Amino acid sequence: MYMNRILKYSAFIFWVGVGCLFWWNCAKDDDRKGSRTTVDDETIVFKHFKLANAAEQFDKAIKQFEELHPGVRVIEEVLPSNTNMQHQYYATSLQAGSDEFDVFLIDVIWTPEFSLAGWLEDVSDLVPLEERDAFLQAPIQANTYQGKLYAVPWYVDGGILFYRKDLLQKYNFEPPATFKELTRQAQFILKKEKRDDLYGFLWQGKQYEGLICAANEIIAGFGGDILDAENRLHLTDQKSLQALRWMRDTIHKYKISPDWVTTADEEVTRLSFMNGDCLFLRNWPYCWSFFQRNDSPVKGKVGVALMPTVAGEKGASTLGGWQMAINHYSAKKELARKFVTFMTSAETQLQFALTVGTKPSRKKVYQNARLQEQQPFIVQLYDVLRATRPRPMTPFYPQMSQVLQVEFSAAISKIRPVKQAMAMAEQQIYHILELEERVKQ
Amino acid sequence: MFKRHEHIKFLFPALFLLALVAFFPLAYGIVLSFFRKMPVFHITDFTGLDNIIYLFSDLRFQQSLWNTLLFTVISVALEVVLGVGVAILMKQKVPGNRMLKAFILLPWAIPTVVSAKMWQWIYNGDFGILNVLLMETGILHNPVNWLGHPQLAMASIIIADVWKTTPFVALLVYAGLLTIPDDLYDSSKIDGAGDLRRFWYVILPLIMPVILIVTIFRMMDALRVFDVVYVLTGGGPANLTETLSIYAYKLLFQTLQFGYGSTVSIMTFFIIMILSSIYIYQLYKRFNYMQ
Repeated sequence: MYMNRILKYSAFIFWVGVGCLFWWNCAKDDDRKGSRTTVDDETIVFKHFKLANAAEQFDKAIKQFEELHPGVRVIEEVLPSNTNMQHQYYATSLQAGSDEFDVFLIDVIWTPEFSLAGWLEDVSDLVPLEERDAFLQAPIQANTYQGKLYAVPWYVDGGILFYRKDLLQKYNFEPPATFKELTRQAQFILKKEKRDDLYGFLWQGKQYEGLICAANEIIAGFGGDILDAENRLHLTDQKSLQALRWMRDTIHKYKISPDWVTTADEEVTRLSFMNGDCLFLRNWPYCWSFFQRNDSPVKGKVGVALMPTVAGEKGASTLGGWQMAINHYSAKKELARKFVTFMTSAETQLQFALTVGTKPSRKKVYQNARLQEQQPFIVQLYDVLRATRPRPMTPFYPQMSQVLQVEFSAAISKIRPVKQAMAMAEQQIYHILELEERVKQ
Repeated sequence: MFKRHEHIKFLFPALFLLALVAFFPLAYGIVLSFFRKMPVFHITDFTGLDNIIYLFSDLRFQQSLWNTLLFTVISVALEVVLGVGVAILMKQKVPGNRMLKAFILLPWAIPTVVSAKMWQWIYNGDFGILNVLLMETGILHNPVNWLGHPQLAMASIIIADVWKTTPFVALLVYAGLLTIPDDLYDSSKIDGAGDLRRFWYVILPLIMPVILIVTIFRMMDALRVFDVVYVLTGGGPANLTETLSIYAYKLLFQTLQFGYGSTVSIMTFFIIMILSSIYIYQLYKRFNYMQ
């Protein structure tokens, strides 16, 4: 009997404990929400990823903004720089209608997806139509969905071809303008140099987003396209097939790329090039500052060119870069708009370009005398950045990317013939795009 | 003193917690798997068995199932054989034995993501140490693209996993070995049994229960393998190393297809459940027979 009573008491205490926990938890949540809407009316939260060497410049810019708008406070919250992790973070918290941040940086490929989901505030009025010409054209295009601008381009990026100036000069070559020239020069120099550890051409072939970036611009160079404005796929067009066959052949036929490019990402190829083991490299402009470091074996020996094309094609490099967007659920949209305007202004972009090395999205900045003097490399990139091409623009890009990564990887690693891989990709992607039509209705 | 069903009350708190953390998510997962749910675009359609029907014709699912089974069978078999060997070595009384034991455990103590990153550099086709060593010793003439080769990629992943988890098997088997009384060794020695016979007829039957339990631990782990593959290849080349967990992760978190992603996860769960049930059932039968 005695035992029984103890049991009853313990059970009672247990349930009371559980109840307390729940109550305490709910109360805590209420507290937090309450404080956000009542006390900090003049505070906005700006979320961005950890941009290398930029912490100080962010502080400085925010201080300037706070001085311009007395009483306003901007809180920075920093995410890791891994793009997939950021996407996952924003998708899950915006999915739940989070108002915990007001302004945030998004990757150029997210804009259609986030806009269709209704997570981004329409910012068309921040850059009126007549002013859009002040920006580079591709990023504006990539941030426009169904006629409305959903994010303001903050900085841009584009794939470029790095080459070894010293080696090309030694054999009297000009930087290659066509794929044929690139192949010929690489084969010639590899033969003459007689170095086992020298590679002709490195690019990113691992099954990941970087492979799509590389393929996108090589396809453009052959005059092909992945997805056009009418949502039609062009992967099985002759030009796109030729582009992928050329990528595959650099490894297996021309032997100018080692077979490990099919597992290489940006960093692996950058390191190899920096060690002096490589003639041509397709990569992003961030590599430049690494190559020019004092301890870099290739310091002063590197040149930069547009990605090659086939003769007669214009070509384009893949558009990368980050945009300022406003959270649709934000309670302080007016302040957020002011902050976005400030951050994307020519003056702020110039400061970031000077100290951090980001590539401005406003054309005018490239004519600035100080930039030309202190960052000639950025100015030199203007032609590349003016001719960038976005990756396929659809809200279903994440799903589409999953298919493309696999089929491109299959094509370049000779797991499937190029034509078969592209046909499989088209079939799967059309299945995905059907959904888009449904959601739009 | 106690009534017949008194004990049920005792179970309630534990059952409640289990329901909260295990049964509820599982049941919700099953429910989700009957929907096409992409919350990003406000799609929530009940599609009944559509997902499951699609699953059976989904080539990518078949590929990842095959990859997972291949990985599990080979890696677990290697780990158990090597683990037993290492455990027997650990039991030999040699100087420095204690330090050896500590060192052997090292791979198991390193987080998988960290050790996988390390293996990624080892396998690097350009300056990875594996290629350098094999070429210096003249075994290879050209560098091998370990993680990009259609067959070698899976083999490389298996090696990295075996390296990491053999110590775990070895540790448990070693514990099993310690329970064997020394008299048994001595008497079998007196009976004139050689090392091999002693291992086969004395040691192995006695540590069999431990081996079987270790195997099921490892099997369940291997069927859900994620981290080592995610770091080393991300599923490439062309999905030839994509496992069920990686496929489910990509569906759920990279493309936010909660419905079909749940179908794949639930199917993974059922596959693991069925395989382990068969195994556990066999285990019970065997032990009852032995007694």
